[in-house]
Amino acid sequence: MEYIINQFVNGICQGFIYALMAVGYSVIVGVVGFVTFTHGEVIVFGAFASFYIFLLCGNNLLLGVIGSFAASWLIGIFVYKICYERFFHAPRHIALICTIGVSMLLKNIAQIIFGPNKKPMLNIIKNKIYSFGIVEISKVQIVIILTVIILSALLFIIFMKTRWGISLRAVSQDKTAAAMMGINVKQTAMIGNCMGSGLAGVAGLLIAINYQTVYATMGSNLSIKAFAAAVLGGLTSVPLAALGGILIGIIENMGITFTSASLRDIFTFVFLIIILIFKPQGFSKKKGVRP
Amino acid sequence: MLKVENLTVNYGYINALNNVNFEVNKGEIITLIGGNGAGKTTTLMSISNLVAKESGRLTFKGADITNLPPHKLVKMGLSHVPEGRKIFPALTVYENLIAGSLGNTDLKKPQINELVQKMYQLFPRLKERCDQGGGTLSGGEQQMLAIARGLMMDPDIIMLDEPSLGLAPIIVEEIFELILKIRDEGKTVLLIEQNASMALSIADRGYVLETGRVVLEGTGKELLNNSDVQKAYLGD
Ligand SMILES: Nc1ncnc2c1ncn2[C@@H]1O[C@H](COP(=O)(O)OP(=O)(O)O)[C@@H](O)[C@H]1O
Ligand SMILES: [Mg+2]
Repeated sequence: MEYIINQFVNGICQGFIYALMAVGYSVIVGVVGFVTFTHGEVIVFGAFASFYIFLLCGNNLLLGVIGSFAASWLIGIFVYKICYERFFHAPRHIALICTIGVSMLLKNIAQIIFGPNKKPMLNIIKNKIYSFGIVEISKVQIVIILTVIILSALLFIIFMKTRWGISLRAVSQDKTAAAMMGINVKQTAMIGNCMGSGLAGVAGLLIAINYQTVYATMGSNLSIKAFAAAVLGGLTSVPLAALGGILIGIIENMGITFTSASLRDIFTFVFLIIILIFKPQGFSKKKGVRP
Repeated sequence: MLKVENLTVNYGYINALNNVNFEVNKGEIITLIGGNGAGKTTTLMSISNLVAKESGRLTFKGADITNLPPHKLVKMGLSHVPEGRKIFPALTVYENLIAGSLGNTDLKKPQINELVQKMYQLFPRLKERCDQGGGTLSGGEQQMLAIARGLMMDPDIIMLDEPSLGLAPIIVEEIFELILKIRDEGKTVLLIEQNASMALSIADRGYVLETGRVVLEGTGKELLNNSDVQKAYLGD
């Protein structure tokens, strides 16, 4: 019983990381308007950025977070310039295919730069376990959950309470109308893409300290989890994507508790397929439409 | 203030505008009337540089704006209220207004707040609904919001694309009264309409557009009394 409860806690913690990836994904799809396949690689570059920062500067989580965010922001600019900028008026599959190509490119660049082997992530947080009755939670897990909550809150404030947020939401709802308002649509879409990428990069850092390893090809599975979580919210609803991420974390960990750890990734696919069969448009209601 | 010379626009093989010329002077209400598909919306879209021009030259306040991107045009003082209103449905009424001010980066916070209050005065119904989602408004309210949003960039000229489209006559009348009020506050208005009688009755001058060509021009009164216009657009 204790084992099950603790697996549940692990699931929530991992779910928070998936949630951050999925939130980043939804921000990208929402603001830019295209589905992307580069998310996994963006996550990997974020993870490696923090790996080298910890290696060079020691245990400084804040610096790691900023570094991951910045590195993935830059990758976001690269992806935007190649895959999106000139294709807003082209058929949607052009940008989509382009992101598949860039994803392969980035994956191979990552293997060239970082090598093909798994690297152990430095232990930047002392591993301390807190017990509440039979529930145990580690310091790492608390740090992970808090990081996700703080970043999500910041994102919420930026989106809902600032003029920047209004222009991001305006661009996500109607690019032509946003252009007529004098909003620089391309620049705003790029910032949205970079913000979503930055969040994914921090999620990469978190997954690396959670598993204590980092490697160049870890992106593929993660991007599918981010995608599956975002599907719950129709790819554009940020809160539902976060919920989807947490659900996937829990389902995955409960699943391996009763089966085997080698089946971990199967549960995500089952989740994705079930949603796509029964509710392919996701659960988000179109907001603000007259009933 | 705004001058359109030899404007030609094609959509692929379809010719939408052919050598269109017209001019809007400061403080005027100018109307462009014409039936469905005459090229009215295309005219505004190419002024805002949202569709590609085949040829033509646009000048605004003496400067060549033929190839300026929309966000620069807004900064120069040109506002475009699109056909079909294009309210941001998931932004509140207040946020829609703020969105209208984003393009004019010269505006500072106090000026923006002042403009919002001014819009609430001009459109009291928007004030009542300020926290409501833009998409939940009625058609007439959405049109008012679209116009208010267009005024939030504090433009010199405001271009309105068929503001009467799909609205009840009583609301259309309200909107036309507002257009007069907006002119009286010092704005220049370029009004695109299918509702020719209403548009001509408030316009200083008008142009008649037919299949992408300007076929007639004159003062509002002249056009109202022109027998061709009466036959084609005024239903008698
Ligand atoms: N995006 C488009 N692609 C192809 N043809 C278009 C497009 N938009 C408008 N047209 C055509 O251009 C002509 C002018 O259209 P428009 O400017 O919308 O007229 P109006 O606003 O006067 O009704 C019409 O024949 C219309 O079918
Ligand atoms: Mg039209």
